Amino acid sequence: MKLLPSCHDVQTDLTEYAEGALPFRRRAGIWLHLLLCRVCAAFFRGLMALPGVSKTALAPPEAAPDAALKALAAVQAALGKPKP
Amino acid sequence: MTDAASSESDLIRRAAAGDSDAFGALVQPHLSLFHNGIHRILGNVADTQDALQDALMSIHRDLPRFEGRSRFSSWGYKVCLNAALMVRRSRVRIHDMERPEPLALGPFDERGHHLETDRRPEWQVEAQAHDLVERQEMRECLARALDELPDSHRIVFVLKDLEDWDTDEIARHLQLAPGTVRQRLHRSRVQLQARLRDHVLGGRP
Repeated sequence: MKLLPSCHDVQTDLTEYAEGALPFRRRAGIWLHLLLCRVCAAFFRGLMALPGVSKTALAPPEAAPDAALKALAAVQAALGKPKP
Repeated sequence: MTDAASSESDLIRRAAAGDSDAFGALVQPHLSLFHNGIHRILGNVADTQDALQDALMSIHRDLPRFEGRSRFSSWGYKVCLNAALMVRRSRVRIHDMERPEPLALGPFDERGHHLETDRRPEWQVEAQAHDLVERQEMRECLARALDELPDSHRIVFVLKDLEDWDTDEIARHLQLAPGTVRQRLHRSRVQLQARLRDHVLGGRP
């Protein structure tokens, strides 16, 4: 494999790179590529920011949805004291 | 012990003794959290409601064994995630039989490098997404994108990036090789990022 991998190779391996799961030579090639390629570097930053963005965006709403209230009511009923 | 903790302990004691009102008062403040955790794994309203009901029954059954070493909400949330994973294991996963879409990368030239690099708008996730994420439309965009992931990929993204499990733990739980977990995680991240990028830069809603 070439020392400097292509953009395609880099973008395919970024999660393994971030987890330290790649052999040294490939890791070094990606590290160097990210220093030189602003598009891949931005792509990598985007991938790494995704968990934080997703946690915020997909956080539970303050109020429990109707389906959750129904599930609780069903359980309470099964416990022997139905809710009104 | 704070008043809140002492009142929670009291609710736990009464709920464990069979008081369903106490059980409702104990669970209600965390119901949205529990429901959300299950729904993110199952991505289906009916399955989520069934799994939540099973989880609440398990929580009630196991209350006498709850020793208060963790917060009730954390313990209950774990029970909910396990219930969701049980349901997931038992249902037919139609999505898993579909061929995965190609990774949304590129376009690249014949050497595998970006085309027209200078003219591509840059995806500044730090600057843009964190601002936009407060908006309802952004939340809906991500929720839709998550729903559209194949079941086998969504579960990996949820456990890794939303629940902070480590890769080996996910691999053990889903009976996959760690490399497969990382591949599925990568595909999920790429697909979600492509949807977010399109949304932020004015592409698909």
